[in-house]
Amino acid sequence: MLTLLKLELEKLLRAKSFYLSFLVLIAFVALMLWGFYSYAARKTGGQAVEQFKYTYESKQYFNGLTFTLYSLLFSFTLLLPIFVSMTAGSQIAGEARAGTLRMICTRPISRASLILSKFLVTALHAALLLTFFIGLNLIVGLIFVGWGNLELYPGPLNLVDVPGKIMRDEALMRFGYAVVSGTWALLVIAALAFLFSVVFDSPAQAIVMTIAAYLTLYIVGRVEFFEHLRPYFFTTDMDFWRDVFKPDIPWQSLWHYACICGAYTAGLLLTTVVVFERKDIVT
Amino acid sequence: MWVKLALLLLFCLMILGAVHFAPPAESEIAPTSARLVHPLRLLTWNIGYAELEDDTRAHDKDLPAVAEVILHQDADAVALQEMTGNAQLNVLLGLLHEKYRGAVAQQGRGDRFEAVLVKDTSAKFMPVPVGARYALGASFKPRDDTSEVLLLSAHADAFNAAQRRTYTEALIDWAQARAQTSQVFIAGDFNFELKATNESNLYTDNLKHDSESYSQILRHFRDLGRGAGDTAINDRRIDYIFGPPSLGHIGRVAVLRDAAVGRMDHWPLLVEVGL
Repeated sequence: MLTLLKLELEKLLRAKSFYLSFLVLIAFVALMLWGFYSYAARKTGGQAVEQFKYTYESKQYFNGLTFTLYSLLFSFTLLLPIFVSMTAGSQIAGEARAGTLRMICTRPISRASLILSKFLVTALHAALLLTFFIGLNLIVGLIFVGWGNLELYPGPLNLVDVPGKIMRDEALMRFGYAVVSGTWALLVIAALAFLFSVVFDSPAQAIVMTIAAYLTLYIVGRVEFFEHLRPYFFTTDMDFWRDVFKPDIPWQSLWHYACICGAYTAGLLLTTVVVFERKDIVT
Repeated sequence: MWVKLALLLLFCLMILGAVHFAPPAESEIAPTSARLVHPLRLLTWNIGYAELEDDTRAHDKDLPAVAEVILHQDADAVALQEMTGNAQLNVLLGLLHEKYRGAVAQQGRGDRFEAVLVKDTSAKFMPVPVGARYALGASFKPRDDTSEVLLLSAHADAFNAAQRRTYTEALIDWAQARAQTSQVFIAGDFNFELKATNESNLYTDNLKHDSESYSQILRHFRDLGRGAGDTAINDRRIDYIFGPPSLGHIGRVAVLRDAAVGRMDHWPLLVEVGL
């Protein structure tokens, strides 16, 4: 199993898409910095003060931690799921397309072990992406926007019902929690992509199907017509990862949704293993 | 084989964990409201209609039902919104068997009026100028041994979040200036849209304006109806009763969801507090 893991890790490190995902994240952080910086300058300048008497958007509010939080929440909706789908979707189907899957399966290893090792490497990639993204945002935010406490207000980001504040050191800890909770949530998408990767022989098909399923449920979940269906979508359950940024973390609810996501991941992976073991590999 | 067994075990453990950590359903949460001996009972209700009607202001034919709710709840003071004017108020006071005194706000830019009804016969009513609109205040003493209470009935713009923000700022300034001498309560329909899930965008100016308005109120007042849930159709909590932050006891807090008649789109919010 360890040899398998090592081999899969080597494959991941040699893939161009692995480095591309980090490059795109860097570009996104640059874009966010430009947007946030110009917005902060506008909102703390004369124009906003002339129009309204009171605001919470002060220089103190706009700091590196707020920047990182906004950047993370915006990217988690679409950017990170796409990269996770790309890596996971190409794991088995990529081997099939390259013509190496048949050869791998002739080796004295079980197909289940192969799936598990590939999934663990994908999980590592998701964790690395999140760690890199959060770390980069924090460094960029510290250098270009400044340091302070994390202030939260009802409405934007939909995190709190009443204004709240997380002190700087505690907030940094919460970003650490977000790496764990975010990776755990992203594993649902990875597991779905694995299933599609086994079902389809084309990695493009597997990736597109995963993103399509994710986006369909995400969009339908935001349409009021289907409000009663929202609790049954995995995209709704995945949202639990954000709870670590609430001033008082709702641990019970967080564990509940984390377990649901875990059940999705384990269930989808089990299905993937069963389908893969019965699959006649002709490529 | 062991991989499949491990995954099956993990799946079962996760299901068990999800069941174990499931948050209690709303019906299972025991009400925390304390029973107060002499509570001050405040009620706010936008008695206008939803946008489907030609005239979205309060309808005369609904006034008996409105009066019945007020009498049944035995509210000490009531803040009403979207009334058509003095004539409608007089009809309502009659239906309340003259147990209440009341007034409507001065006419501002709009065609609808805020009103306050108070049981105390010595209540004083005062206009509250907020930009181009008028809210209405009523000061009264619920009992001889209590301090003076000032209840404002307010109605912020339904369509423009920036206007809601300037309205709220002016209202809070006015109320704050009187908070030293009276127990100030602000009740009414503020139309704040604070649920980001209802927005198609992740971050909008409208959402931010409402967030700033609500946060500004909470700097000086306490949202007494926060736990009572939605107050209008389409899952919206847009009617509020704000009270002094130092308020000691809060009793029953309820949205009376079976009270609306006709095509009303709001439900009354009732709050009991101990002074």
